[in-house]
Amino acid sequence: MLGPITIQDDRVTFWKKIQQMNYGLILLICLIAGVGFTALYSAAGGDVDPWASRQFMRFVFCLGVMFVVAMIGIHWWFRLSYLTYFGGLVLLVYVEIMGHIGMGAQRWINLGFMNVQPSELMKIAVVMALARYFHTATLDDVRRIRFLLVPAAIIVTPVALVLLQPDLGTSLMIVMAGGAMFFMAGVPLWMFGVLGGVALASLPVAWQFMHEYQKKRVMTFLDPESDPLGSGYHITQSKIALGSGGIDGKGFLQGTQSHLNFLPEKQTDFIFTLWAEEWGLLGGLALLALFGLVFLYGIWISFRCRHGYGRMLALGLTVNLSLYVFINIGMVMGLIPVVGAPLPLVSYGGTAMLSAMIGFGLIMSCNIHRDAKLARMQ
Amino acid sequence: MNRFSPLSRNTMSLSGEKSSALELARGRLPFVAAFFALAWLLVAMRVFDLTIIQGGFLRTDERSALATAESEQEPVLRAHIVDRNGVLIATTLKTASLYADPKLVLDPDSVAGGLARIFPDLDERDLREKLKSNRRFVWISRNLTPEEQARVLELGEPGLNFRSEPRRIYPQGNLAAHIGGYTDIDGRGLAGIERSFDEVLSAGAEPVRLTLDVRLQYFLRREMAKAVHDFNAVGGAGLVMDVRNGEILAAVSLPDFDPHDPGTADDSARFNRITLGVYEAGSIFKIFSTAALLEFRSASMAQRFDAREPLKRGGHTISDYHAEKRILTLPEVFMYSSNIGSALMGEEVGTENLRDFYRDLGLFAAPDIGIRESGEPLVPYPWRDINTLTASYGHGIAVTPLQIIAAAATIVGSGTLVHPVLVFDETAAGSHNIARNAADLRIVKPQTAHRMRQLLRLVVTDGTGSNADVPGYQVGGKTGTADKIGPHGYDRNRRISSFLGVFPMSSPRYAVLIMIDEPKGNKTSFGYATGGWVAAPAVGNVIAAMGQLLGVPVVEQGEGPDELVASLLKHVHKEEKHLVSY
Repeated sequence: MLGPITIQDDRVTFWKKIQQMNYGLILLICLIAGVGFTALYSAAGGDVDPWASRQFMRFVFCLGVMFVVAMIGIHWWFRLSYLTYFGGLVLLVYVEIMGHIGMGAQRWINLGFMNVQPSELMKIAVVMALARYFHTATLDDVRRIRFLLVPAAIIVTPVALVLLQPDLGTSLMIVMAGGAMFFMAGVPLWMFGVLGGVALASLPVAWQFMHEYQKKRVMTFLDPESDPLGSGYHITQSKIALGSGGIDGKGFLQGTQSHLNFLPEKQTDFIFTLWAEEWGLLGGLALLALFGLVFLYGIWISFRCRHGYGRMLALGLTVNLSLYVFINIGMVMGLIPVVGAPLPLVSYGGTAMLSAMIGFGLIMSCNIHRDAKLARMQ
Repeated sequence: MNRFSPLSRNTMSLSGEKSSALELARGRLPFVAAFFALAWLLVAMRVFDLTIIQGGFLRTDERSALATAESEQEPVLRAHIVDRNGVLIATTLKTASLYADPKLVLDPDSVAGGLARIFPDLDERDLREKLKSNRRFVWISRNLTPEEQARVLELGEPGLNFRSEPRRIYPQGNLAAHIGGYTDIDGRGLAGIERSFDEVLSAGAEPVRLTLDVRLQYFLRREMAKAVHDFNAVGGAGLVMDVRNGEILAAVSLPDFDPHDPGTADDSARFNRITLGVYEAGSIFKIFSTAALLEFRSASMAQRFDAREPLKRGGHTISDYHAEKRILTLPEVFMYSSNIGSALMGEEVGTENLRDFYRDLGLFAAPDIGIRESGEPLVPYPWRDINTLTASYGHGIAVTPLQIIAAAATIVGSGTLVHPVLVFDETAAGSHNIARNAADLRIVKPQTAHRMRQLLRLVVTDGTGSNADVPGYQVGGKTGTADKIGPHGYDRNRRISSFLGVFPMSSPRYAVLIMIDEPKGNKTSFGYATGGWVAAPAVGNVIAAMGQLLGVPVVEQGEGPDELVASLLKHVHKEEKHLVSY
């Protein structure tokens, strides 16, 4: 049974909230987005059209969204957690059914002014639902398997739906972010060990169920040379471009590999390659450092939070964002197989930017309302 | 309501088991942070690895430190790629590339107008913007012709300058695009020989000499293109090989592309079907299963196989395309291409024997011919008895066309393993190619090889391959028609039709393989799109052309049956001439 939600931070006024905003974090976000605009300007051969200008407009809009999300009291997000989650599930089922009815393998819903990928929103919704569930958990609770069945279902249900799309990358990301939250909730380590063992043992079975193109991606990853003109082509090109950058790069607008279209998807998934070709090792490391600082900021906010919900939420969202960064950069450098994952705030694309900024808004809300008192389950 | 104070470190110990796990969470947070810090480090190291270590930046640095004087001289021109007769397949020309320093351009508007007249494909407005930009370096156009360069010089504009750039030229155009490969604009090999021999080529030393003969390459491509066009096919793969030493004389993959401009070609055109694509070859595999039967069971030509009824084994049914519906002798199974008969042969050879035989023939592993576009064959695993039956007539196992022709050369040649060779390597390190083919790794006995030559000749004189015959060249061969796998299993309307021809059959010298992807029947083939109608005539035309060019001695044929097949004919039940070929 749920107890009443008590709100005891009415004293936090509007101006107080404005003061409490994480301006350092906002600066970092703007810097990273700035890298994005620069790279997109270069990707278009030194032109704000067609990418940089639109990306900038979206960023301004998303910055507003982030502000609003951050200002809304954490208790509202707390209340809305499960609702958001079920809403996300409904949307996922909706695209799945529409896909079968005959719109093809469509992963998004057209809202008129923009396309929304439910799986994108689901990443946030899963973190919210898990944070709410673990908010009340005691050490005693998390040692009982029965207590963990519900959060496990919270993860498995959307993962199954996303796998049907089929989108292996997104489902793996949901699992990993969820796993990190389980860890934070204090789930005994041996449970992770057992689960990991089972997962390893089921790999051969999963292989049987994988789509041909997914198998091929894994095989190409293991040996990119085996298919230098197919999927391996992208990775090989990407590595050549990175290698040609050297220490300080070829210079702004001078990247030959990317501009001559040897590099596919240069404005979306492979934007890091373009950036590192033109700005070299130093540019690449600088961008990594910016993301690293954002990560530390998130961890710090999680650490400062005085309620379980905020702590879990901030951590889950931070982990989620970092996974994006690793998966994207790891992919273009041939560390992991090709999964279509954008680089947050840098890659061209609306939904990805919106979901990243909503995530930052929630993290900031956690910080602003870190002393809020949230109700607990009896 | 169980309140807790997050600041009180004692909460856990005071309230014992009931205390919140959040304290633990605080303890675990550093571990999460540490884990990600490690991941960060790993990614950062990889950036370093790619940009500095693998990027060759340090190496260049060293070299320039050692020999600054040298590096200021002319850049080394990338070496040629030539065919076996020294005909250029790829070469490098020095060309001028035009750039501008907008700061020095006096009158951007008039210069833009002048440039737009010289380069009609450049937009005047774009040029004007480029010339007015704040950058100190903008490319205008790369790899100019001498005439274009002269006209730019006539503009007399101090802000326009040239940079001497090597340009890779492929004099044969599309002809050897897949084997020769291509480079990017900075002269790095991206595919084919250009890629696999990148280091050798960029060192600018001796040309890389291939075993290809551009003239044969031309014949093969001409006939394949004609077949692809006539039968409205999606593509094809073809090879010509010297049976005695495995040298690849021609290798064509269709559709192809212009190696000067690979970026505009689609993936299908860039795809190398010769060494990277793997296909179920169908009845051509009967060469291998029949050879296995002769080798392991010393079968007699009089041996009979019951092809009256479709063969039922473990829930699978094997039937013939054009059922003879009678008991066939061994030569009849081969010449009429009976799946039932071949499956029975495979059964008699035995699962282990057949599998090992295929492996020894090199069908289980991609051969290394020095280009990296190499497709791994799809071999059933585990290999069950049913796989033995289907593999006997070339289904359930997919290999590259290169593997097929090399394995066939092994069997009809001297019976020793033929290693395909693409690159002549005159250096000592490379002599292992020749050594390998001299190693005499025996696969089939000489009498098996002899029997197989007779059988292949029989297919052309009296069986499904009659369209490949060229009078005087004693052509032998085997047809193959394999349904492609569609979304719902094998699709009878999409198939790969192929023919493997060998000549002259009394002492085989050359093998020619042509595979046509998804041909559709036409009027001249009476609506048939099988190997015998689509690929066999093309192989016949190639043989006629190359036989003349290479001066292969013509064997005078008297009246009556070919002496090679005469002894077999008593085992062949002659009926009306078969109109339909497979």
